[in-house]
Amino acid sequence: MRATIFILAALHAVTAARPASAYPQYQLDSDKTCTGCHLAPDGGGILNENGTNTAESTAWHPGDGGFMYGMSKPSWLELGGDVRAAAGFVDPGVSSAAAYPMQAEVAASAHFSGFSIHAIGGLRRPQDQGSALHALWSREHYVMWQANPDDHEGFYVRVGRLLPTFGLRLAEHVVYTQRYGGYPLYGEVYAVAASYVSDAFEVHAAGFIHDPIASAEEHGDGGALYAEARVGEHAAIGAEGKYSASDDAHRTYGGVTGKLFLPGPKLQLLGEAQVIREDFVAAGGDKVTQLAGYALASHPFGGGFLLDVGAGHFTEDTRVKGLFRDCLDAQIHWFQTSHIEWLLSARVELLDLGSHTNGGYLLAQLHYRL
Amino acid sequence: MRSLTFLLVALVACGTEDSRPATVEVISLEILAPACGAPQCHSTSTNQSGYAFDTLAVSKLALKQLVGPGGGGRNKNLMEVLTSTSGKLMPPDAPLDPADIKLIETWIANGAQGL
Repeated sequence: MRATIFILAALHAVTAARPASAYPQYQLDSDKTCTGCHLAPDGGGILNENGTNTAESTAWHPGDGGFMYGMSKPSWLELGGDVRAAAGFVDPGVSSAAAYPMQAEVAASAHFSGFSIHAIGGLRRPQDQGSALHALWSREHYVMWQANPDDHEGFYVRVGRLLPTFGLRLAEHVVYTQRYGGYPLYGEVYAVAASYVSDAFEVHAAGFIHDPIASAEEHGDGGALYAEARVGEHAAIGAEGKYSASDDAHRTYGGVTGKLFLPGPKLQLLGEAQVIREDFVAAGGDKVTQLAGYALASHPFGGGFLLDVGAGHFTEDTRVKGLFRDCLDAQIHWFQTSHIEWLLSARVELLDLGSHTNGGYLLAQLHYRL
Repeated sequence: MRSLTFLLVALVACGTEDSRPATVEVISLEILAPACGAPQCHSTSTNQSGYAFDTLAVSKLALKQLVGPGGGGRNKNLMEVLTSTSGKLMPPDAPLDPADIKLIETWIANGAQGL
């Protein structure tokens, strides 16, 4: 029976982590913007040259941080990719072993002057009634125009399938403000997105429609806005808003973010709070207010280690007493090389302050960046 | 600090006893869609085990199979996986709130109206 559960869990593919490589934990420690290390204006995906250098300087035994350890390629082409898998124990009320093949994706970016074409594709869970080929898909694909292609600051416009910029955008999708908030796993949509990024502030706006073919987390059409301003050298505050309307529900998200880096103890503090208003038009207009919050403290140490300690709160429906949960997370990242990251993550989740069933997990994850 | 404490207490203490209507719409959209209908799980595209919960329309189809009109027949299937004490427990990653499970039970007990 245990073997069956294990196999079923293994087949429960592509579930545990956001396909991402963004680590906002480093933002105020080094580069002030995501574009300092990534090609995309809001981070994630392929690293630029400074990003690979940062990966090298962060790792225990770096090696060549470039794609496939410095494989030669045309100057107009950037390549990347990520493979992730995790295994351990999950306890949604009953403890069981679990394994998650989370991500197997390659990414490419071809740039010509200020224009570039980006695509991220790979494997996903087999689709219902689909052939084996349906396991292949492209999670992101868009055309980007960048006003200053040789600079990390400036104006960006993207058109295509992408995840609208919203909130802290941590790598772990189980973070409450992402899982229950406006930046969920597989929340990609077809969008027209504009970004202005500078060391002093950044603004991201997107109008979107949901994917009409493949099921995505977002079923509605709408818009998203995120703005963040640096306050002094080591702090930033942000504001966010999102609206989407589908046949079933109209959802409005509003929230704030905060970031503070303490140079002395090398501690980065990140926080986000959201209010989510849902109008279930298909349920007779039943209206629900939800609250989601997450706070994270990160500290790099030793040879390539990063410790994260986080706490989250989610109120599922403010009308119902006790319908909320809190979590305490701990993660240790070890960047063994500039391509290999080990991650040990643990969560304790309490429902109604522990008066009901509680949950949690303990997972070891391997992330290989191509 | 006092304000923060007050805010936290207010946050935790807010709400009253569950007065949500036990309807198939509320159960589908407010409970099953976010907990079970993720794209990689029981969504329209993946339709794992033949069930999808990501929209009201497909959730009703799944509930017809798992509960059956009138709440008879196969209703144990749904409650079994939501309250299992073995590895069959769903959702497999995070516990469903007991208040949500109770609302589903109430809906079934009232005849699983709306399917």
